[in-house]
Amino acid sequence: MIHLAPYLQFASKAFQREATYRVEVLSEIGSLVLRVYLIRALWTALYAHNPAPPDLPLHAIITYSTVALLLSLIFEVDGTRQLREKLRLGTIATDLLKPISIPGFLFSDGLGMTLLHAMTVIPSLLIALLLVHVDRPAGAGAAAAFLAAFALGYAVNFLLNFCMNCVAFWTLETFALQLVVRWLSDLLSGAIIPLAFFPGVFQSVVLHLPFAAVYSTPLLIYLGLLRGQQVGHALLEQLAWLLAFAALAALAWSRGRNRVVVQGG
Amino acid sequence: MGSTRSWLGVVAQAWRIRLLTMLEYKANFFMWFAFTIAYHGVAVAALGATLYNFPSLAGWNFREIAFLYALWMLGHSTHNLFFFSVGDVPVYVQEGTFDRFLVRPRDVLFQIVTVPNQQWPDELALAIVWFVFATWYAHVAVNWVFLLAVPLIVLGGVLIDLAVSLMVATVSFWFVRVDTLRWVVMSLEQEFTRYPVSIYTRGVRILMAYVLPYAFMNYFPAVYFLHKSDQGLTVVPWLGLLAPLVGGVWFAAAYGFWRVGLNRYQGTGS
Repeated sequence: MIHLAPYLQFASKAFQREATYRVEVLSEIGSLVLRVYLIRALWTALYAHNPAPPDLPLHAIITYSTVALLLSLIFEVDGTRQLREKLRLGTIATDLLKPISIPGFLFSDGLGMTLLHAMTVIPSLLIALLLVHVDRPAGAGAAAAFLAAFALGYAVNFLLNFCMNCVAFWTLETFALQLVVRWLSDLLSGAIIPLAFFPGVFQSVVLHLPFAAVYSTPLLIYLGLLRGQQVGHALLEQLAWLLAFAALAALAWSRGRNRVVVQGG
Repeated sequence: MGSTRSWLGVVAQAWRIRLLTMLEYKANFFMWFAFTIAYHGVAVAALGATLYNFPSLAGWNFREIAFLYALWMLGHSTHNLFFFSVGDVPVYVQEGTFDRFLVRPRDVLFQIVTVPNQQWPDELALAIVWFVFATWYAHVAVNWVFLLAVPLIVLGGVLIDLAVSLMVATVSFWFVRVDTLRWVVMSLEQEFTRYPVSIYTRGVRILMAYVLPYAFMNYFPAVYFLHKSDQGLTVVPWLGLLAPLVGGVWFAAAYGFWRVGLNRYQGTGS
């Protein structure tokens, strides 16, 4: 029987900890203004001189990019990064003695941090609305499906990060590797541009990689580019990735913790 | 203050330490090199995929955008190789480790530039390869003007980059937390330089051209080399060739501001 109370405490502590870094949060919102401006300038210029794709008019691409930017405020919070630090510094040894689940701790701590950053989404959206028009979700059904897809995307993102940080069990120095994966996943998840922009075969591959479950699926549902049955299929695909990565994470964790090498000193 | 020889000795020593660190942590070097490739690769791939769908960005095609990126990359990576640590000054000030530079018998900026760090020539090497490719790919005429101008434009770009990071560093003497300013400057430098300046509204164009003159790192020179007739504030076609001059003037101004800031910092030191 798992007691939830300590994990709620972890989340609340993480929330409070993040809340003390007000300047960081403010500068996050500040840099967002520039990015939204860039979205507007870039896509307006591109649509002015080229024929628009049939299912993606200018207001849709601006909505896509802006909502992706707001999602990144949440998805870029990586609570599992602490695992790497714990392994590097050796404090993992004492954590393993505690009567808690460390993955559970990382999830609730990350959730607490995420909740604080989620609060910046509202002011960020209001600021963004001064610069661009953001469409509403394509109907009530789309809005509900978007929330479900977002929750699944959040879980997939957490597990991806968790697996990446588990690599530290084997190599200890993983920061550069993680950044490589982060950068590639930004491109392949549809966070920077819609995956439909990739040419031919590459597009059909990218659309079915796990990265697409994080940004692309929720965003396509939001815009109404996935409809009816397609929504169900997309959610199922996300769920499949969720289960696959949960299995991988469980395997990495159980193998990893058995070979904890605590650095001396 | 020591002779030129002893100054060069310090520089040589700093580079020796860097090289030895690189050789000591080979795996780390290769992982960071992979990161460098991923960072620029993702930027170029996103530009490529976008322009695959929208072939013209304010009259620029992908080949020309690739050249625009290459020019920026060359100046930026050269700056990083030699002057990356100037960008860390706000961190030193915040953490209080800046004071140790003030008590040593060398010029403060010189000390900061020679801080041992992990900036290796991998990014510059990649930039040169990409620049050679992009020059060919964008059909840029390689004549004596080009061969003479490119090193000077890179020098100008380095000075512009350095001038702006020196200004931000100096601002941190007064306002310890300059995170927002750093973010804004970094975003303007790394993201806004990817596209022709002509896509921005007038205020941002003026900002990029004459306030934080990043447009002289790549946009104006690219306009010249690619013979673009442009609306983005280009007064004369050869404006881009003034990059070293603009870099020199901005660096001189930034260095003056830095000296003022340094005196003031010493004055308030507790």
